[in-house]
This record gives sequence, structure tokens and C-alpha cells, in this order.
Amino acid sequence: MHRYLVQRLLLVVLVLLGVSLLVFIVTRLTPGDPARVLLGPRATEEQVAQLRTAYGLDQPLHMQYVTWLARVVRGDLGESIQLHRPVLGEVVERFRGTLILAVAAMIISFTVGIVFGVAAALRANTALDRALMSLALLGISMPPFWVGLILIIAFTLGLRWLPATGMFSPTGGGDLQDLLVHLVLPAVSLAVVPLAVIARLTRANVLEVLNQLYVRTARAKGLHSRTVVLRHVLRNTLIGTVTILGLETGWLLAGTVYIETVFAWPGIGAMLVNAILQRDYPLVQGGVLLVAAIYVLINLSTDILYLYLDPRLRHA
Amino acid sequence: MASDTRGPGGQRLSRRGFVRTVGAGVALSALAPTLLAPIGRAAPARAAATPGVLVVGLVAEPTSLDPGQLTDINSMKLLGAMYDTLVRFKPNSFDIEPSLATSWDRSADGLLYTFKLRSGVKFHDGTDFNADAVKFTYDRLLDPTHPYADTGPFPFAPGYYGSIAESIVVDPLTVQFRLNREDSALLDAFTLNTGRIVSPQAVKTSRKDFAQNPVGTGPFKFAGWDHNVRITLNANPDYWDGAPALQQMIFRPLADEQTRITEFLSGGVDVIFDVPPDNIDQVKNTAGALFLAQPGPHVWWVTLNTKKPPFDNVLVRQAANFAINKDALTLDILKGTGTPSVGPIPPAITWAYTDQVAQYNYDPDRAQALLQQSGVLLPINVTFWVTESGSGMQSPKTMGTAIQADLAVVGINAQIQTFEWGAFLNKYGTGLADEAAMAELSWMFDSGDPAHMLPNNLYGPACSPKGFNGGCYQNPQVDGLLESALKVYDRDQRGAIYKQIQQIVAADAPWIFVDNQIQNAAISTRVSGLDLHPSFYMTFLNRISAA
Repeated sequence: MHRYLVQRLLLVVLVLLGVSLLVFIVTRLTPGDPARVLLGPRATEEQVAQLRTAYGLDQPLHMQYVTWLARVVRGDLGESIQLHRPVLGEVVERFRGTLILAVAAMIISFTVGIVFGVAAALRANTALDRALMSLALLGISMPPFWVGLILIIAFTLGLRWLPATGMFSPTGGGDLQDLLVHLVLPAVSLAVVPLAVIARLTRANVLEVLNQLYVRTARAKGLHSRTVVLRHVLRNTLIGTVTILGLETGWLLAGTVYIETVFAWPGIGAMLVNAILQRDYPLVQGGVLLVAAIYVLINLSTDILYLYLDPRLRHA
Repeated sequence: MASDTRGPGGQRLSRRGFVRTVGAGVALSALAPTLLAPIGRAAPARAAATPGVLVVGLVAEPTSLDPGQLTDINSMKLLGAMYDTLVRFKPNSFDIEPSLATSWDRSADGLLYTFKLRSGVKFHDGTDFNADAVKFTYDRLLDPTHPYADTGPFPFAPGYYGSIAESIVVDPLTVQFRLNREDSALLDAFTLNTGRIVSPQAVKTSRKDFAQNPVGTGPFKFAGWDHNVRITLNANPDYWDGAPALQQMIFRPLADEQTRITEFLSGGVDVIFDVPPDNIDQVKNTAGALFLAQPGPHVWWVTLNTKKPPFDNVLVRQAANFAINKDALTLDILKGTGTPSVGPIPPAITWAYTDQVAQYNYDPDRAQALLQQSGVLLPINVTFWVTESGSGMQSPKTMGTAIQADLAVVGINAQIQTFEWGAFLNKYGTGLADEAAMAELSWMFDSGDPAHMLPNNLYGPACSPKGFNGGCYQNPQVDGLLESALKVYDRDQRGAIYKQIQQIVAADAPWIFVDNQIQNAAISTRVSGLDLHPSFYMTFLNRISAA
């Protein structure tokens, strides 16, 4: 078990090193450079060259990479070319926004998704089942940004119940309540697809488990049906749900790109897109490195969670 | 396991059921906007706003608040609130009036400018504004060995102030600039954001962090920057030009176009700039909203490669100009946010503009006749570089497609190659050369002076990659006139030179002249005193109020 963990952690380091090299190469291969984007059409080649020197972009590529890596090891991700501030602070701050959004969406999608799935399975092939599963299909089919726009039209412009953009009110506010009010629409938009996926998956898993002999036994020995579902059925469907947890977390982090844009939510997805367009190399490198690290760590913890949930895997 | 759950229709759903459900989903998706649209169009009662507080929607998070560092028009929107320039443009014009400098004068040889400075002005940090501050500001921008040059880089400074050899403090309220060459456009350059006067004390204390902690002499003081959420400025009651009517200004970054519109319609912001053409009617029909429009100092054109066939032939270039229906383009695609242009200088710069030039009104027959006369074989196949977006580029893809269609009618088949803005700038910067015959581009003359643009775009020696003359247009007569214009100080005389240049350039047709953008903004009716300035800066902010 310990050896397994050490192996996996070493792999994490290797993966991140690979990611950093890949991102570095891809940013440099993309046509366009930060100096020209900053200067626009106003500058001569000479001025562009001066600016490239100022950013160290005139150095040979391998030197640039080694310099950058040496700094990263010391915890310094450099300074954003476009924003003139340290990359680390910006990335961490933006990631906090994404995390708040993703966690909220995850809570919504898991609680509602599991409830929908179990309800549909227990009432399989009834009107309720068909209604819930049609909703789920609709949920999977709708692009999240479109859902977001529709929610804005309905709840902000129409009913005027909820604010459409930002994390806090522009004037005043800034407390938890202010945050929650701003969180509702983006979190719901982001939750729709994973919610539907989880509902469908839970339904399938529960149906499968319901047919197992041990469930019949539990019923036969006279257990209350609630106990059967909670104790025997749900617990055994958890392993499938955990897999989904890993996959959907990745999806949530990626999906926030559109949602952050539509709702002007200060997260890392929108930041990265902008950084790529501006050819802000240090910001792209730092941002992608962080996201990759999170991704890899989530996968790692999913695997560890498997070990915990399914004793059979511990000996495999 | 999870991969197949996301596919449409699990096994438990019959095919007919699947089709029905998908059909319903599609129908609902199609209907929803129509069903919900009336809600959005209905005049929303704008949310209660705080009197004395103005909330401005920006198109992105400002990149910095150090005037020297900035290159983007979005971040520059805040600078006029916090900083002043030596001289400034009068409201609604490109005529210069005093600001931090009360008077100025120029030596006979044009190589020494002397500015008398306003007395009693203080920076927000309490230090005095004086000649030392002016010298510090420009030395920091221009001298790479200056002790605070590392607070840069200052990308635009060499382009606008490169003619300054030295700044000299004569006495606390007199400063001089010694020039290394004649530069009649220097006074206009002193109105620009890049040259706004910063507090030396604040730069020395904050160093690199000055970009996040700006200190100037302007009508508003920096109060706080909640990154990606808002920037707050408080009124400076001691402002030399009169205390602001507002107590506070808040700037919010709202990157998505539709989000910005929504936020404006719901009352979350009081001002947004550049309303997209498709949303203008919506803004106009909203109670509590005002739509402002102002011709800007902007030109949008298609560069023609004058060094390669077919556009090395002036008749073909003229034919291309006659082939484009600019009226349809500005009315249908740009929905009136642009007017057809006739030359390289926008009409907003009244002293330098003339319409007494060879004009190319839409005339496909004439275009075909010119092509016949030129002797080129039809159809012509050419490559046309189009950008996906970009500062000042309006709707580049739709416009590119419309131009392509118009050209096809007369026998010029343009093959469009699309680039994202960053890549596009690099391509254009190295020149069209052997790779393309046509490319889009636009320019904002924010200094109100052609001297800051034409020498980069239509000057022979600036043929790309040296300058941004991508089509490598070279006419010695134009080159000579451009050089002489920098040595003429009388505005009317200088204007006459630029008018002559326009006539030559219009006849030579190195570009397809397309349009001049009309800048616009949507503001809440509770706001008064906010006018769009032709330079597109936010100016005279102390005169704005919000009920």
C-alpha cells in the first residue's frame, strides 16, 4: 500500500514535468508573441524586439525553459506579462473562484442527481421514471453556457430575483450571503450536465444492485425497505459514483470556462483563455501547471478512495 | 463505465422514445429564446442605484494602472480619472487647452519646448506637482538607465515621445524639453494616456507595485482593487479643476459581450462602451437607458499588396475599391456603427481631413471596365488575410466575407485565410510579401494627429517588416510630404499637407477604403455630464454626476 502510494506520487511529479514541457513548447509554437500583441499595430519591429528582450524572449528556448523551471522549483511562477503581477497570486486567486463554483455545482449535481437516480430506479418504468430520465436526457443535451443564458434571461432580466454576473455586488456586499446569491445561477448552469449523468448512472447501478441476491435476502429477513435501500443498495452503488466523481470533477473544472465567461465569474478558466489569446506565456504556463496538478491529484485521490471503499482492490 | 452514459439514449430507451425526446428537446431549445425574448425586451425597471456612485462596465480586467505601461484602450479608460496630462483636448474636439501646464512655447528652430506649470496642484499622496515630477515622468518612460526604468516596460513611449532628447527643470514651475529632431506632433502626443504625470514619490515607494497602487493628480483617488471584481476610486475634493460631483466611481470587468449588455439592462452597471450592433435597438428601446454615438478617429481598411500582381497595377486596386458596396456593409453588417470612408484619415480629425479626393462609390460596372483596361486575365485568384477579432477591427469576419462576395462579382476570387488576432498581427507585421494579396487592418488615432499613424502605415521606408506598411506602398511624393509635415507647426498649413497626402493616396488606392467607426456607449439616464470624446478617452470626469 505504501509502496503503491510512493510510486503514484513519483508518477505525479513526472506527469507535471511532462505537462510543463508540453505547455512550454505549445505556447512557443503558437504563432504570435506577447510583445506584438501588447504593442498592436502601432510599433516598429525594432520596438517589438526591444520588448521581447525585456521579457527574456530573445533567449534560446531551452534556456528560457530551464530558467523558468528553476524558478518554479523555488515556488516562483514569474510575472504575468499582461497583468504586471505575480503569476502565483493571480492563479491561486482565480483558482479559488473556480473551486467555489465547481464545489457548489458538485454538491448540487450529486445530491439532486443521486436522489433523482434512486427515485427513478425504485419506480422503474413508471411515469416518474420516464419523466426524470427525459429530464436527464434534456440536461445532457443542453450546452451549459446556453442554460446559463436562459437562466439569466429568466431570473435576472425577467423575474429580477438573482444577479447575473460577478462573485460579489459591485457596491458594498462581500459577505457570505452576497456570495451565495451570486453563486446560484452559475452553479446551477454548471451542475446540469453532471447532474443528468449522475442521475442516469445511479439509476442503472441501483437497478443492477436491486436484482442482487443479497438485496432479496435483506428483504426476505424483513428489513424496512428504507434500510434496504440506504444500507445495502446505495452503499454498493457507491463505487460507480466515485468513478463518476473523479471524471465529473475534471469536467466541472473544464466546464467552468464557458460558465465563467457568461457570468463574469472570476475563475481560472476565463483567465487561461484570455492569457492564451494575449500570449501571456508565464500566466499560461503557471495556470496550466496548477490545473494539471489538481487534475492529477484528483485522479490519485479517486484511486485511493477506491481502495478504501472496495477492500478487494487492496490486495489486487 | 461513465463514457457511454453521456451518449444520447441508454439502452433502456426505445428508439422511438429517443427520437421523441430529442425532438422535444430541439423544439424547446428553438422556442425558448422566442418565448423568453419579450421578457428581455420589456423595459426593465433598472435596479436601485446609489446616488453619487457611478458603476462602469469594462470589457476586461485592467492590465495595470501605470499609464506608461498600458497598451490597451480598456485599461486606459480609468486613467483620466486618476491622472492628468500636461495639455488636453477641449470637450468634443481635437483642439488643445491647458491642463497641468498653463502655457507653453516653442523655440524658433522647433527644438526646445517650454511649459509653465499650474501652481498649487498636489498629488493624491500629498506631494507637490512640479517640474521635477514632469521630468521624472518622462525620464522614467524614455531613459533605459533611469533608476526606475525597471518599473516598465513602457511600450508606447518611444513611438510618441522618441523626439525628446532631454527634459530640463528650469524652476519648480517651468520645465523644458530639448528635442533631437523637429516633431510638430509632440504637443498632440502630450494629450495621450502614455504621458500622464505620475507621483515620483509613489513610484519610488511602490516600485513595481505602482501599477497596482496608482497616484496622480486627477479628479479621483485610487481606493482599492479587488482583482477581477472591481476597482474603486473616491472623489478628490481638492481637484484643481473643480471637485467631482460624484463621490465614487467603480469599474467592473465584464468580459463577455452579452453579459455586459445584460448587466447594463438589469442596472448592475451605469455605463458600457461599444454596444454590439445587434443590441443597439434593444438599448434604445429600454426605459432608463440612453444611447450615445460619436464619430471616432478610426479607420478600417483592406491593405492591398502593391508589390505583387495583380495589385501592383493601380487600375486593379481602383477596381477593387469600386467593387465594394460600403453602404450595404455599414448599414447591414455594422448596423450604422460605421460610415463609409474615402481615405486614410478619419473625418473626426477635422483639421486634417478632406473629402475632395477620388471617391470610389459602389460601381461594379466601372470596376469591371477598369479590370478590362488593366489587361489582367480574369478571374483573378488572391489570398485575403482576415482576423477573427481584434482591437478596433469591428466585425472582421463578417466584413471580410462581404468584401469577398463583392469582389467575386467583378471576377476577383479572394480566398480567405483567418487568423486569431495575436497570430494575425505577426503575419501582418512581417508583411503581405509573397504570402497574401489583401489583409484587413484598422487604426485608432487617439492623439487626433495623423503624424502618429501615417508614417507607420503609408511611408515607404516603413515597408514591413520595418514598419506596419504591410502592402509596402511606396510613393516618394507621399514620403516627402509626410516628412515635411513634421516640420510645419501651423495647424492649417499642416492640415493642408495631410489633405494633399489623402488626395494622392486615394488616387493610388493602396488600400480598399472601407469605413470609419462610430463609437458608442449606453448610459443610464440617471447619469449626466458624460459625453463621448472623439479621442475615446473618458474625460472631464469631475463634471459627471449620478442621481
